[in-house]
Amino acid sequence: MSVALSRCIGRVLSRQVASSSFVAGEQHHAVQSCWFVPVMTLKTTAALRAVPQKKKKKADPRIEALVRDRLKKKLRKLEKIPPEFIPIEDFITPSKCLDETRQRSTSRLSVEESERRALLLKEWCLYKQKQHMAEVESVELALKAQKEALKELKLESEELYQAALKPDPLLFPFAHEGPTFTPPKENYEAPDGKYVDITKVYTQ
Amino acid sequence: MPTHGIGRWGHLVTREPPKKKKDRHQMKPILPATDTAYGTLNVIVSGYDLVIVEHYSQYIHNLCNRLGIKVSESYALPTKSTEVMLMQEQGTKMYVEALLKTHQRVVQLSSLDASLCPLFMDVMLKCQPEGVQLAVKVHTEADYHARFKARPEMEGLMTKLRH
Repeated sequence: MSVALSRCIGRVLSRQVASSSFVAGEQHHAVQSCWFVPVMTLKTTAALRAVPQKKKKKADPRIEALVRDRLKKKLRKLEKIPPEFIPIEDFITPSKCLDETRQRSTSRLSVEESERRALLLKEWCLYKQKQHMAEVESVELALKAQKEALKELKLESEELYQAALKPDPLLFPFAHEGPTFTPPKENYEAPDGKYVDITKVYTQ
Repeated sequence: MPTHGIGRWGHLVTREPPKKKKDRHQMKPILPATDTAYGTLNVIVSGYDLVIVEHYSQYIHNLCNRLGIKVSESYALPTKSTEVMLMQEQGTKMYVEALLKTHQRVVQLSSLDASLCPLFMDVMLKCQPEGVQLAVKVHTEADYHARFKARPEMEGLMTKLRH
């Protein structure tokens, strides 16, 4: 009973509010509805200095295409010429050595000297041959031992055998400096200076 | 006649097709690494002394032939000239002390068996002479193109055409 009464009072009050607002003026009504655009709010933009744009010449794409064709033709002509290797200075004998005016006469050797030299040469050949044979033998022994080891590994486990045959990806790139005659000096102060690369750059 | 055709040897020699002089130098195919072998490798020998570098590269070539490793190419890279400039004792000027030339030789292996690799490397390192630097790298196309002369005009045209 009290609930129904309160609802009736609420409805009456809302009707009164609505009627009063309608009577008051357009403003409230305008803000609430969406059909009216407020004229009061002005919008301003920054100054735009525009110049009327020039008409694009229709020949532009044609000129571009012509230029492109010319470049393509030039490129095709250059591509026809095969690339040249950079000449290696080591294989070109310097002009000083080709000079025929400088010549050295061969000295005359005595019989004993020439015989001594021939015998020395023979001894050297024998020594070198023994060295080479020893090297070849050691290489063959190492290969044989490796083959046997791999055979045994295969009998042991197939997986390890396959893994042993795989190449090592971390090995390359590999670099190693040759041995030196003497070890590096301790507390050595190198003189001040710099290296300048003056290799000749060739262009085709 | 029993002696008919005696002394004939032309049929035993394989005749190569006549080589055109204007043939372009084709790049040999770069083989990738497989399950049991490495791909195309470059063994680069470099040093200041030409004779030692040349002899060492020839030794490596012979070693490959002996071990059965296929050598696809054996060439030389252009020599690099380096000027050593030192500071003067009195004053701040630099004066030219010496001219050093670094020579490089490359032995290109088409493929290297993974089982032969450790033995091959061991022998090479044991015989390395002093003053010679040994480097083993994987061969790339960039390495191949570095042997040719630079063509700035062609490259300029190509960049222009791309844009």
